[in-house]
Amino acid sequence: MMDLEKYLLMRHELILTLVTLIILIAELSVKGENSRRIRPFSIILFFIVTAAGFLPLQEGSLFGGMYQTTGLITLMKNILNIGVLIVFIQSYNWLGTEENKSKVSEFFLLILSTLIGMDFMISSGDFLMFYIGLELATIPIASLAAYERTKTKSAEAGIKLILSSALSSGILLYGISMIYGTTGSIYFNEVAEVFTNNNLQILAFIFFFAGMAFKISIVPFHLWTADVYEGAPINVTSYLSVISKGAAVFIFIIVLFTVFRTVIDIWQNVIYITAVLTMTVGNLFAIRQKNLKRFLAFSSISQAGFIFLGIIGGNKLGMASVIYFMLVYIFSNLGAFGVVAAIANKTGKENMDDYNGLYLTNPNLSLLMMLALFSLAGIPPVAGFFGKFFLFTAAAEKGFYILVLIAVLNTIIALYYYLLVVKAMFINKSEHPIERFKSDFYTRLGLLICAAGIIVTGFASVIFEYIRSLSFGI
Amino acid sequence: MIDFTYTLFIVLIPMAMFLLLGLVGHKMKSFAGVLGTFGLGVSWILSIITAYQYFFVAGKIEGVYQKIIGFNTVWLHLTDKLHIDMGILLDPISVMMLIVVTTVSFMVHLYSIGYMKGERGFERFFAFLSLFTFSMLGLVVATNIFQMYIFWELVGVSSYLLIGFYYQKPSAVAASKKAFIVTRFADLGFLIGILILSFNTKTFDFIALTDVNGAAIATGAGASFLGLSVMTWSLIFVFMGGAGKSAMFPFHIWLPDAMEGPTPVSALIHAATMVVAGVYLVARLFPIYAISAPEGLMVVGYIGCFSSLFAAIIACTQFDIKRVLAYSTLSQIGYMMVGLGVSGYGGHEGLGYMASMFHLFTHAMFKALLFLGAGAIIHAAHSNYMNEMGGLRKYLPITHITFLIACLTISGVPFLSAFFSKDEILTAAYYHNRIIFWVELFVAGLTAFYMFRLYFRIFWNKEPQYHHTPRESPLTMTIPLIFLAIASIFAGYIPFSKFVSSDSVPFESEIELGLAIPSVIVGLLGILIAFVMYKKETSIPDKVAASFRFFYRWAYNKFYFDELYLFVTKKIIFRYISKPVAWFDRYVVDGTMNGISAMTNYMSYQIRGFQSGQLQQYAFVFVSGAIGLALVIMYLLIH
Amino acid sequence: MNILSLFVIIPILTIFALMATKSFKQARVVAAIGMGIQLITAAVLVFWYLHERSAGNTAEMLFYQSHVWFESLNICYTVGVDGIAVAMIALTSIVVFAGIFASWDVEFLTKEFFISLILLSSGVFGFFISLDLFTMFLFYEVAVIPMYLLIGIWGSGPKEYSAMKLTLMLMSGSALLLVGLLGIYFNSAPTGGALTFNILDISKITIPIEAQRFFFPLTFVGFGVLGALFPFHTWSPDGHASAPTAVSMLHAGVLMKLGGYGCFRVAMFLMPEAANEMAWIFIILTTISVVYGAFGAIAQRDLKYINAYSSVSHCGLVLFALLMMNKTAMDGAIIQMVSHGLMTALFFALIGMIYGRTHTRMINEMGGLMKVMPFLAVVYVIAGLASLGLPGLSGFVAEMTIFVGSFQHPDIFHRVCTIIACSSIVITAVYILRVVGILLLGPITNDHYLHLDDAKWYERTSTIALILPIAGIGLAPLWLFNMIGDSLAPIINQLSFIGF
Repeated sequence: MMDLEKYLLMRHELILTLVTLIILIAELSVKGENSRRIRPFSIILFFIVTAAGFLPLQEGSLFGGMYQTTGLITLMKNILNIGVLIVFIQSYNWLGTEENKSKVSEFFLLILSTLIGMDFMISSGDFLMFYIGLELATIPIASLAAYERTKTKSAEAGIKLILSSALSSGILLYGISMIYGTTGSIYFNEVAEVFTNNNLQILAFIFFFAGMAFKISIVPFHLWTADVYEGAPINVTSYLSVISKGAAVFIFIIVLFTVFRTVIDIWQNVIYITAVLTMTVGNLFAIRQKNLKRFLAFSSISQAGFIFLGIIGGNKLGMASVIYFMLVYIFSNLGAFGVVAAIANKTGKENMDDYNGLYLTNPNLSLLMMLALFSLAGIPPVAGFFGKFFLFTAAAEKGFYILVLIAVLNTIIALYYYLLVVKAMFINKSEHPIERFKSDFYTRLGLLICAAGIIVTGFASVIFEYIRSLSFGI
Repeated sequence: MIDFTYTLFIVLIPMAMFLLLGLVGHKMKSFAGVLGTFGLGVSWILSIITAYQYFFVAGKIEGVYQKIIGFNTVWLHLTDKLHIDMGILLDPISVMMLIVVTTVSFMVHLYSIGYMKGERGFERFFAFLSLFTFSMLGLVVATNIFQMYIFWELVGVSSYLLIGFYYQKPSAVAASKKAFIVTRFADLGFLIGILILSFNTKTFDFIALTDVNGAAIATGAGASFLGLSVMTWSLIFVFMGGAGKSAMFPFHIWLPDAMEGPTPVSALIHAATMVVAGVYLVARLFPIYAISAPEGLMVVGYIGCFSSLFAAIIACTQFDIKRVLAYSTLSQIGYMMVGLGVSGYGGHEGLGYMASMFHLFTHAMFKALLFLGAGAIIHAAHSNYMNEMGGLRKYLPITHITFLIACLTISGVPFLSAFFSKDEILTAAYYHNRIIFWVELFVAGLTAFYMFRLYFRIFWNKEPQYHHTPRESPLTMTIPLIFLAIASIFAGYIPFSKFVSSDSVPFESEIELGLAIPSVIVGLLGILIAFVMYKKETSIPDKVAASFRFFYRWAYNKFYFDELYLFVTKKIIFRYISKPVAWFDRYVVDGTMNGISAMTNYMSYQIRGFQSGQLQQYAFVFVSGAIGLALVIMYLLIH
Repeated sequence: MNILSLFVIIPILTIFALMATKSFKQARVVAAIGMGIQLITAAVLVFWYLHERSAGNTAEMLFYQSHVWFESLNICYTVGVDGIAVAMIALTSIVVFAGIFASWDVEFLTKEFFISLILLSSGVFGFFISLDLFTMFLFYEVAVIPMYLLIGIWGSGPKEYSAMKLTLMLMSGSALLLVGLLGIYFNSAPTGGALTFNILDISKITIPIEAQRFFFPLTFVGFGVLGALFPFHTWSPDGHASAPTAVSMLHAGVLMKLGGYGCFRVAMFLMPEAANEMAWIFIILTTISVVYGAFGAIAQRDLKYINAYSSVSHCGLVLFALLMMNKTAMDGAIIQMVSHGLMTALFFALIGMIYGRTHTRMINEMGGLMKVMPFLAVVYVIAGLASLGLPGLSGFVAEMTIFVGSFQHPDIFHRVCTIIACSSIVITAVYILRVVGILLLGPITNDHYLHLDDAKWYERTSTIALILPIAGIGLAPLWLFNMIGDSLAPIINQLSFIGF
């Protein structure tokens, strides 16, 4: 029995698999109208999962190091769980609609399976496990993107995602194979020992980087983002833009800090260039967007650029700030998406000028939206400010002042377009604004969690301090 | 040793009056006037007592008049050395000025009760009068140059308020604005002067500054700039301020327009007291001028000389009686400046100094008289223009007599006050600077001429059709006239050099007949010409005017100085500086800021091609991006 | 419980109270009460401070208190005040108080209006009490952002444009500032030891000069943008013109002072060597803004534009005096901050009240208002006289202290600049009297104005609350000087190597 116990290290993955099976069975048992009941059922189940995630868990590794878990990794998984929980709650209302009622459980199943993939990916100790996790985390999302099969845009999004991610996986795999070819190992710790900066390995790294950059949608590997985000159902988009991006960032930073620590001077250059590109291009695109989903998509691209400021230093503070920022980002972005979803589900409107005069009809929604946007823009006193500040601090600690300067100037551009939305809601007048409506319990719950997160995460320094205590630098 | 602290009340009572009338005046209708007048009466009496105690009891110690600090308190610490005090300095000239200011001011208050009766804003008028008196008193008793500057500004503002008293009359508004800005510009010079002076001497204090063998005078003489010592420069700048208030050329333009104010105001501010502030300032700093900045003193002299001539000529051509008087004021102040300019320091050398103070004193009396008389006349004839008057002697006997006395006095007719003072200035000029002497002698003649031109046109000449027959003014207005008339007759018999002298040491000064006689002759000559031309209505004036038309028109238009100023302010400042600055700000500085944002937008439109929706293009960008990155990195590695 | 924290807590409580209010009548009453309490607290602080000092407490900062916040980065919530900060706090509470009454008749979204206004003020208060660069920066941005909504929603004219422009320019300023602060932070322990954001601790050490050369300009300009430093002042005219009355008051009156305050409290205090090296550049810029702003004001027709440009000129004088780096001039700068704050707030209040009656701000469309609204007109004249530096009102004290102080500078270049700056007193007189002449004096041009009413009680309250301190400072400046007292001593010592 001893060796069975040690498999409890994989608690997250195991529970998730279990839950997935339960939902699958439940789906088979219920019929017709009752299928809607799946929603509260699975949400409650997943709440238990999330809660269970916080139970203390010892560190260790399995399968000869293919699978590893540490306090940090557990934390990352928990953060992802929180995000997914919010997504579930926000989707409740949308899943209840007529055209979705026949495929309620698919939504949960697919998302849960990607989550399992992500957990494995984060916990992976070698490139094989990593790759499997990555694929498991990607492919189901494609079908999620195509969830609304009646809508062509949705289908198109699915196709685009699957095709372009196939390409990126190919490149990634190519990079991994080259790593194996040059180092003779796929285990992270072994590769780290021997990895140097001869041209082939640089190429290997770049390909690996490209594959990851695709997931995090870093310029110039971001082009799929806008179309997919726009096409996919809002709740899926929010899942894509927050959870899957977050998972990718987590594993990416771990790999950079461990596997590629020897070639830090190389990837610092790479990240420097791509960070500047990503922030600027993302902002420049975002300025013109009138469709809020596209708008948030591009803004999330530039956010990814900011995340790189935390990574580039290769320092402990950097990792802490990145994870902290991801947490804040989950709340902020899901908050914004939540509002957009709530309004889109009620009225089907998702253009900026539909929001004119929103405050007069729906003050609470607009206030929350403003809060979320300010948090994304990094305006105090909300959490986003702290998140960005720590990212900049991390970069500055290693002396990347110019990069920080570019970044802060980019925040001004970002502020500009975030304010455009605020302007629409608060300042602009409109003959026929979105009429006042009352959101259901789950929508409000979801938004409430986001609001709480946006406000509390910043002031409560314990959160940041805890993250920092777990994180490490090169 | 007497405690002079009570002199504080001379200054504070008017202040209290101002606050009282300003805040609750509108409640108390016409009583406001009585109250104000009473208040001023008190400080008048107090200052007479002060004068008595200073000159005859406590002022003189072994034959030298002391500078007594009646009261002093630090108002503001600037640096460890420099601090602005508020205090009361008593010395011959300040005490003399106390008398002048309070006397004239009291007379004017009294006069105004009658003159302003029933005017809208009666109490406001008296409040402003009190404010002015307060500031003027604060100015004359200043213990340090910065206190003087402070009250200098206050005086300027109260004059602004009083000129603009009829604030619904555009001309009045314009005049007040002009007066303030012109003097303000001059004050800038004053301020710069103070800054340079204090930077070199590290003190504001008059006693320290004017201490003949003190450190202040010694310093500054050394360092020089454009050939003149720093001290000289600073004093010239200071004089600029003085010139502004005293309406010396080229700052004279505001004074004639200032006549838009009520006539008593003109009498008080623009004739008797405020306009001599410049003279007083120079006199106050006289030792430095005389000892360490003689060039500065020379400037004072020439400016004064030129102004007196210039103004006298213009005065001959004006028809608005108040303007004539205004220009005569300019010319007389020019005399005082000349007096200072041609004076040396100490003993009989300082004759000019004494004479100029003396003339200041007498001038205050007779010029106040003239203006108040003019006020009475205007009151009666309902016009400012002498060619709408004539033959008024029948209707206004008292005004007539007093006005005549004033005219005789200013023309320097023997045994009237101005005869003595003016004559001593000429004497001083004669011994120091002949050119100035001859000019001033000529001006004396002109003065007599234009004053009597005025006199004859008003009181004799042809009588026009009055809408309703002019009537003599009430007692409140005639009493001041009579008092001032008496004053201007006898003021000359005060042995002034006994009291006021450049080094505070009394000395003897006597009339030099050799110089007195010509000046008297010139004066009488002027009167005679005026008599011939204006006693009866004749065609002579027009002939004369016609005979040198060009010059006449030129002078009649005040040598086109207003136009020049208008040009500078409207065209140069407004159109060629402010407008361009505003334009630059809007379109260049601000344009840049907007340009940046426009640029950002433009770029965001330029790059939209990337987001084509074409998957194959995405793939291409993806791969080429990866390759590109790799190449860049390898390049970086090689270098 | 530290008294200083009250200055942040009271506004926040007021905001919560406001959220509970139902009608706009309730809202404004609640706001007035809250800010009234704030004003009283400020008065208490002033007297307590003076008492402490007279009791011989010579600590650099009084009521000092520090709580660790983010331990790993050594970010603390550190508060403490010296005379300057106290003066600023007093100024702010007066202006806010007056601002509430000046916006008594805001009826559109009143609750939200006061909430944003008070949120803004809480940011300002927080800024002035902070001694920790991080919290300082945080409050700084809290003070800037509500401006966007305030102008955008309750403003007039091209409000969206102005609001956006103002916000973006100020945030760009704070962006530069952020880099500067990070630079200071990572150089705060050149000899090893813990990095710190604490101003007092940093002032003890010397930041390496090459670091200073890079970060001083960033910090100074960052604050300078808010201080309307030429050529970064253009947000000011448009912003003020579009902003609602109370916001213009608060913004020109207080927010622009954040710039000057930060410039010396952070930039010059912590990086004196670089400050000394680069002073000449900024002296030229500020000299330009002083004269340029004044000339710009002459050409304007819109009352608010005139005032905005004059603010550029006056605030330029603040920075100018600070850069002279001697006690007198800096004293003058502080006085000028207070004086200009009160003065310009009064101006904007009056402009708002006049606009509320005549519905225009174009001076050439108005005239002879003195006859119909004597109270407002007289107050306007007083404000004008204060602004052109009439003795007996605060403006004179400030300007003269600055000029005399600056002119004591041993270097001829500084003295020449001083003389150039002096000339502004004439130009100021020109535009002030121009406005007074056209607007208030002369005959009434428009018959509709004949039956306009004079100030209401709340308008009188607002204006009088501002006039009293103006006259107080003008007549008896010594008390303010005593309050500032030796608060400048530390920074003077920092700069002392310049040799005075």
